[in-house]
Amino acid sequence: MKILATDDDPIILELLAQFLNTFGDHDITTATGALDAIALIEAAGAEPYDCFLLDIQMPGMDGTTLARRIRQMHDYGVTPIIMLTAMSEKRYIDSAFAAGATDYVTKPFDLTELRTRISVVEQLVESRKTTNFFAPAPHPTSRTTSDVIDLHDPIALHDIDYVISCIAMENYVSQLSRSSLFGSTVFAFTLRQPEVLCDALSAAEFKFVIEDVAEVITDSLTGHQFLMTYAGSGTYLCITESGWRPDMPKLMDAVNLRLSRAQIMSNDGKELYPRVSAGVAIRLIWKSGDQILNALSNAQASSEAAAAEFERLKTDFFHIGKSA
Amino acid sequence: MTALALSGPAPQMPGLDRIRLRFVELLHDRKAEIAHYALAAWDGETAEDINQNLENARGILHQISGTAGTVGYPELGQTAQQCEAQIIAHLEGDYADLAICPGDIIWFIDTFVEACTNLTDQA
Repeated sequence: MKILATDDDPIILELLAQFLNTFGDHDITTATGALDAIALIEAAGAEPYDCFLLDIQMPGMDGTTLARRIRQMHDYGVTPIIMLTAMSEKRYIDSAFAAGATDYVTKPFDLTELRTRISVVEQLVESRKTTNFFAPAPHPTSRTTSDVIDLHDPIALHDIDYVISCIAMENYVSQLSRSSLFGSTVFAFTLRQPEVLCDALSAAEFKFVIEDVAEVITDSLTGHQFLMTYAGSGTYLCITESGWRPDMPKLMDAVNLRLSRAQIMSNDGKELYPRVSAGVAIRLIWKSGDQILNALSNAQASSEAAAAEFERLKTDFFHIGKSA
Repeated sequence: MTALALSGPAPQMPGLDRIRLRFVELLHDRKAEIAHYALAAWDGETAEDINQNLENARGILHQISGTAGTVGYPELGQTAQQCEAQIIAHLEGDYADLAICPGDIIWFIDTFVEACTNLTDQA
């Protein structure tokens, strides 16, 4: 992989260069500051970097701002960005993910862990080259393409605050500390009849709808600490770490009210009326390892089941007028 | 000093001896800079002066805490991290706007500087 490592500490850069040359066939470039890094990225031209390693805390422009700048650049919408962070900076991790980071590694490095994470990124870069899993969404500056999109594909959403990629979400939740898990809750919203929208709209239009709905959901969550990802199949997965326990029916109503006011249209001016259903909120306390990822799956499944149930009840005339 | 003995998985990585040597060389200067900033903070007469010197010391401590463990000196890294935490607690605390440099910070930094001196003397 072609890797750019940015850190103001020359020892860290030497360590990374030595490590990456020892444990893989990588082409590593180093920068001691964000501005140097930007210059190198711009100079890369037709041979873009495959991966970035960015220190969070640097003099001048910090790593989080640099990650945001990289995400805005052409060719780097989905390139893996691994943040390098001291444990004392863990509090800044949420901001880094919100800015577009894919993963993080804590300093001092556990070399085994670092090796594992680099290997994962390497596999992701390879899979990106052979599949469209990572890049179903073109960069915002070139969104006029007519590429085909699968309803079930996750879509990378750009430039929406607190929205991260699916991979970043998995990395984020799998590294939450025990104390963070205590106050964490995952929940999801699913577009009702997403297949109808997907079939009726062009790929670009469908992406716009997915983005518009994401913006409405994040607006509805304003005031709470959260991160969100679009997981495909019309489902938006959210996590909050702040101890807040969302009232899902109320939250769903709030999102749908905003959606009704948003007046989301197709390209030919027809109003689309997207609405969402909400699943159950699942607390992560006492969970570990696979249980945490299962909680994400369960939140997604419950939301999709709620959306399906909503549609079923619309035509279930036998139960109309009945109460529990 | 046993606290500064090499430990952890880092020594197994090829090429690390060279980086460790460079770390120790840099540590000599970094230690002096930290001591300088700590004394300047202690002698500072305004909150801005004190806090700026503490912030400068914190920046260097942060770098050391991030690398010491990886090159084989985890306890030195932890000591640096404790100093950094003390400074952050002060700078983000209720008394940051007063022209006071807490004695605890100086004590922690003194411990850290002594540990650095032991390491650089051994090298």
